[in-house]
Amino acid sequence: MAEKKRKERAGGGESRTNKKFKKHSNSKGLTKKSKDKSNMRRKRTGPRLPSALRTELDRLNARISANSDDEINSDVEKDVYEYEEEVPQEESRKNRRFDPVENYEYELPEDFEDENVSSDDDDDDNDDDFDVGGNEGNLIEDLDDSDGVEEEDDGRHLRMLQGITGMSNDAFEGKKKKNNVVISEAHPESEYNPTRDVLEGDGHITVQDLLEPIQGKPGYSKLRKRVQYMDRKSTSIQAPLPKADREKLERMAVYEHSKKDITKWEHLVKRNREAPTIFFGEDVDLGFSTVGAIASEFEPRTEFEKKIASLVYDDKVIEAHKADGSKLLELNKISAEDYMKHRNHIAKMRSLLFHHEMKRKRVKKIKSKTYHRLKNKDKLKAASAEMLMDPEAAKEQARKQEFKRAEERMTLKHKNKSKWARRILERGLNAQDEGTRAAMAEQLHHHALLTRKINTVKDSSSSSSDSSSDEDDEGSDQDRASELLEKAKEKTLKVLEDDEEVPNSGVLSLPFMVRGMKKRKEEAIEEAKLALQEYEQLEGTVGAVNLKPATASGRRVFGMANNEASESNNKIKTDNKKMKMDNYYGNSDSEDDLEAKENLNITGGRKNDVEKDAGPNCVHKEAADVRQDSVFKNFDDIVRDPGPKTTYEVAIFTSDSWRKMKSENGVDANVKKSQEIKEPIVQNQDLKEGEEESDSDSEEQMVDGILSTGPKDSYELPSQSELIRHAFAGDDVEEEFEKDKQEILNDENPEPDKPVLLPGWGQWTHIQHKKGLPSWMLKEHDDAKRKREETLKKRKDAHLKHVIISEKLDKKAEKLQTKTLPYPFTSKELFEQSVRMPIGSEFNPETAIRALNRPDVVKKPGVIIKPIKFEEVHQHEKPEDHKRSGQKRKPNRSKGAVGKMKKQ
Amino acid sequence: MLILVPSISAASLRAASSQAFPKRRLKRERTTDLSFQKTAAAAPCDRQASLTFLPFLFISMGSKEENGDGEMDQTVKKYLRGEAANLEGLQDKKLKGQLAIREELYGKSAKAAAKIEKWLLPSEGGYLEAEGIEKTWRIKQESIAREVDILSLRNQYDIVLPELGPYTIDFTPNGRYMAAAGRKGHLAVVDMKTLSLIKEIQVRETVRDVVYLHNELFFAAAQKKYPYIYNRDGTELHCLKEHGAVSRLQFLKNHFLLASINKFGQLHYQDVTMGEMVGNYRTGSGRTDAMQVNPFNGVVALGHSSGTVTMWKPTSAAPLVKMLCHPGPVSSLAFHPNGHLMATSGKEKKIKIWDLRKFEVIQTLSGHAKTLNFSQKGLLAAGTGSFVQILGDFSGSQNYSRYMSHSISKGYQVGKVLFRPYEDVLGIGHSMGWSSILIPGSGEPNFDSWVANPFETSKQRREKEVHSLLDKLPPETIMLDPTKVGTVRPARKKEKKPTKEEREAEMEAAVEAAKDTDIKKKTKGRNKPSKRAQRRKEIIDRAKRPFLEHWVEEQETFRKKQKTNMETEMPKSLQRFVRQKAT
Repeated sequence: MAEKKRKERAGGGESRTNKKFKKHSNSKGLTKKSKDKSNMRRKRTGPRLPSALRTELDRLNARISANSDDEINSDVEKDVYEYEEEVPQEESRKNRRFDPVENYEYELPEDFEDENVSSDDDDDDNDDDFDVGGNEGNLIEDLDDSDGVEEEDDGRHLRMLQGITGMSNDAFEGKKKKNNVVISEAHPESEYNPTRDVLEGDGHITVQDLLEPIQGKPGYSKLRKRVQYMDRKSTSIQAPLPKADREKLERMAVYEHSKKDITKWEHLVKRNREAPTIFFGEDVDLGFSTVGAIASEFEPRTEFEKKIASLVYDDKVIEAHKADGSKLLELNKISAEDYMKHRNHIAKMRSLLFHHEMKRKRVKKIKSKTYHRLKNKDKLKAASAEMLMDPEAAKEQARKQEFKRAEERMTLKHKNKSKWARRILERGLNAQDEGTRAAMAEQLHHHALLTRKINTVKDSSSSSSDSSSDEDDEGSDQDRASELLEKAKEKTLKVLEDDEEVPNSGVLSLPFMVRGMKKRKEEAIEEAKLALQEYEQLEGTVGAVNLKPATASGRRVFGMANNEASESNNKIKTDNKKMKMDNYYGNSDSEDDLEAKENLNITGGRKNDVEKDAGPNCVHKEAADVRQDSVFKNFDDIVRDPGPKTTYEVAIFTSDSWRKMKSENGVDANVKKSQEIKEPIVQNQDLKEGEEESDSDSEEQMVDGILSTGPKDSYELPSQSELIRHAFAGDDVEEEFEKDKQEILNDENPEPDKPVLLPGWGQWTHIQHKKGLPSWMLKEHDDAKRKREETLKKRKDAHLKHVIISEKLDKKAEKLQTKTLPYPFTSKELFEQSVRMPIGSEFNPETAIRALNRPDVVKKPGVIIKPIKFEEVHQHEKPEDHKRSGQKRKPNRSKGAVGKMKKQ
Repeated sequence: MLILVPSISAASLRAASSQAFPKRRLKRERTTDLSFQKTAAAAPCDRQASLTFLPFLFISMGSKEENGDGEMDQTVKKYLRGEAANLEGLQDKKLKGQLAIREELYGKSAKAAAKIEKWLLPSEGGYLEAEGIEKTWRIKQESIAREVDILSLRNQYDIVLPELGPYTIDFTPNGRYMAAAGRKGHLAVVDMKTLSLIKEIQVRETVRDVVYLHNELFFAAAQKKYPYIYNRDGTELHCLKEHGAVSRLQFLKNHFLLASINKFGQLHYQDVTMGEMVGNYRTGSGRTDAMQVNPFNGVVALGHSSGTVTMWKPTSAAPLVKMLCHPGPVSSLAFHPNGHLMATSGKEKKIKIWDLRKFEVIQTLSGHAKTLNFSQKGLLAAGTGSFVQILGDFSGSQNYSRYMSHSISKGYQVGKVLFRPYEDVLGIGHSMGWSSILIPGSGEPNFDSWVANPFETSKQRREKEVHSLLDKLPPETIMLDPTKVGTVRPARKKEKKPTKEEREAEMEAAVEAAKDTDIKKKTKGRNKPSKRAQRRKEIIDRAKRPFLEHWVEEQETFRKKQKTNMETEMPKSLQRFVRQKAT
């Protein structure tokens, strides 16, 4: 306790002085305020003085303020009181304004002294004091203002008289007094109108005077005693403070008190705040754990309960239950579960039915056009989907569509002929609202669509098959075949006629390319000629068959098959060309070639199908076969062509059909080199080092390898390929790497573009020309360059010659890092160090996990958190608190901290 | 004290396969464990195999206790995982208090962990010690066999399977099971504890590599055209056609990713849980046979014929690191389990050891190595021809020197060396089968059942599978420095302001999206076409608004800027008027 006291003294000393100071300053503040208020009022309402008088006043005031404050105060006090008494009744209201001032005056003298003595320690305080003093002075001046004016007037008057007459002051004063006395009274003398002598001086009415008349009457003695008592205890009663101020003071006092009261909680609060975990409701017994336990405790209290209990616990009932209860249950065949299930099922069905019914009813009632329109649309959609699924439906649909179209054509239903449309048109379309107009427009559109559609079909057919549309060969298949032949002929002729212009620039203009192209063209022409011959022959035969006259046909035209055939022909051609080109240039794209070939096959197949539909397919098939053959021939030629880059690699990727060509390849002189490479590998017999070609080959090798790896050849001569690689590898590996690195650096930090002016821009004169680029451009460029160099220097691999570390941002991995520092942290290092330790159970011993992962508040569900209770806390306890180990802490904490709080 | 004294070169006790033992050839129909023939002297034993190879040398306890404190401090430091934060300059008192409490807890945890390590993980790795002029690398397997217990002896054997080609092997993470793949299509799963064959199948096509997935139930084999996944019973579960003709397979067990490199130098990552193809990148450096996963961070390293080693992660198309390691082609590479060391071997007869934190060479050794492997304790095995060399770093200064050597009988060509986890055993896959030799001090003596349990029961395995699936890491967590996860992202370069066109395009897109939205059907009267059109217009306007507002804002700021510019650019005599107006 002693220590505590000492502490308090040490700690609280300051606060106490502070408090004191505050009190003073407060009170002072208050007075000051009131003073200021009064000042203000004074200024506002006070009598206006002539300037001469004011100067006089100033003079006077200066004199007063020079004197010691106390004296003046007392003087002024008196003056003020006297003056107040003399104030006539009417003016008393005005004078009441001085009330706060009075108040101040009664307080001031004592306080003033005190302050000057006690508050030596505080400079501010002193200053305040002085300020107050100054104010007081002012106040005094102000007070003087009113009464001083009259006095001054009188004095001046006297002086003036004196100056004029040369007589002493007294004579005039007496005269004045005399004058004052001689005043006639207009009203009769009475209790309510006291005589003049009563009012003046000696005839004061005292309480005794008032008491005398009632002497001897009952209650007199009592009254007298009270008066005497009051006389004895005659201290002047101060005027009460205004209510607001009083309340303020009260509040202040209460605040001080409560503050002192509350500070005793500080330790508790601080401890709770600093605790990593707060425990609530340790070891609270939650009571009954089961319903049975609750029920067992039940005691019947009300009469009803008692009655029931007596019935339930009646021996007879119990016995009967024991005897029959089980039997009764056994008899009950339907189990409750089954019954419930059944009932639920029925209810469900019923509700489903009901809902369905309701829905149908509602749907039936809907009149909305939009709804129906949408519904129809849905129906259409469904129908279209169905159409896609099976051809039967498609046919049906097509027929329907046709019917609709025909109907529309006949009736012109949508062409604003309906009653509704006519009426609207009568009224004028412009008068209608937007929706109606839109509806009209839609109708028109619909009409246009239905009538136009057939035209489009016509158009397309006529445009696609130039001649066939007129010829109308719907019925006869033979006709079509001949037509096809004709078309093919045309196409081939076109090919023959077509002179491919030789490009003047680019790779194609190179002499060897030109030569190659020429050669190929020649071949193509030859082939085309052959094809032409064949066509002619075929046409002869077809023509013989095709004797039937052409028949007239309807509107619908089936030109598509024909079309497609020609198209496919075209396609083959283009494919063919493309392939040629591919083969010629990029041997690396062998896969593409394969694909192209596949394409070709597919198109060929399609063509065949089409032809089957058309009719005499054999003819065409042959033609197609011829074409395909020619294509393959082309391939062969190409392969035979000693392409400068055809290498061994190509052969690897090719499929079966290409194998043969590979063998042909081998004959060529150019490919010999690749074979040379291949041979040593075969000799090599080392499995893994050897380049794996197609796996069919490698298996043979494998067997070789195993069989050959006997125990004898413990040392193996390095294979030739290895030797070659060794020989050439070391040379430019580093250089290449350097280049690679430079590339990557440029990629990640691109070099700034060289500053360029628009040609002719800013070069009007030779001076401008000489100057070169403007300086800002150069500067910008230099800056960019410097920046780049800096970033390059900052790279992790800046000093590592043999390493490239990519600095590309991984956007996916970015979400694993925080964008900003989490709130309480201010430095990155601190944060990263604080998260360095994993706190999971995998990384920490069992004893530490709990403490590491304990939440801020530990509370059992259902536990009521009681408010904090006061307890004495020793300040030494706090540091110990943290040092408790994770496991021990729990029990300890339950006793300490909050636990203790509850006990008290 | 037991010291291994190297024996005289006794040929009589040669443990390698000799003619004396009849060999049984493995046939593909045979599925019993009889198909194996251990050539080393191995007494059948019913007891469970010991967890680790016993230490060869017992150190007296006294000496251990002497430096116990220092050791404890060391281990505590290890478990603290770095320096504590310096709270001196911290202004925020609350945070300071919280961090202080945290640090204290960390310290306690580390101390507890150190104590556990001291008392509950008492096994120490063994090693060989030579006396006098003896050298450890002269000690033959036969002389070791004489000194060790019977259980350890079981781990010395050669399996000769001459028909189905050079073998490659893989162990499960707990070292209990081994998958062996013969080049010509022989796949076998072996229980290493009982040394019994669980299943063998013949796939009748080239098998280039085999790798276990997360547990012994599944393994993947790189076959002629595609890799396949089989289960333990040899049932083909999946054919991974997208990978193509794969030459090497690796499995990232924390991420459940199967990584493969195919003939065309394409690197594939496939998530084996959902089957999703996570990454497919062209390395652009041709085919390679050198591929290894860094166990520390999951980065896949590839060695190329240009002498470079590239490191990849599944979420970036460019290599994370590309380093020039050798002037010639890189023949193989291996990672130390702690992820900081990498060993590469080049065709130019050099083995280099790299520090991956600095990307610098630590040591250059001469010698060929067709295959490299680090053991759990950091021994490095290098195989070439029929010779296997084990390098050790016993000084702790990452200075690798010769530790042991072994030459395989009859000159079988070594294809792959692989240390068996949690055992002092090195598995060697060679052209005529596989062998197993004892390397004292290679395996981790103390296993952590959270990580891998060599004595796992099937129930535990099931539970572990679920746990590891729950803890599966997403592929983007693979990065060079995984400790960067959870830290503050470094400041990015300023993003460019979108150009006017871009902004307009964005607005267009927004408007389009707004147009596409379905308008709610309203009741009669409010569903008129005009009303609907109005509503649609409103929606579009609403979509446009933010862009327009942004534009207006920009304009305003621009105007303001101009204005201020104007003010400052006024002639000096006029500037005061401006100021007056402003105030």
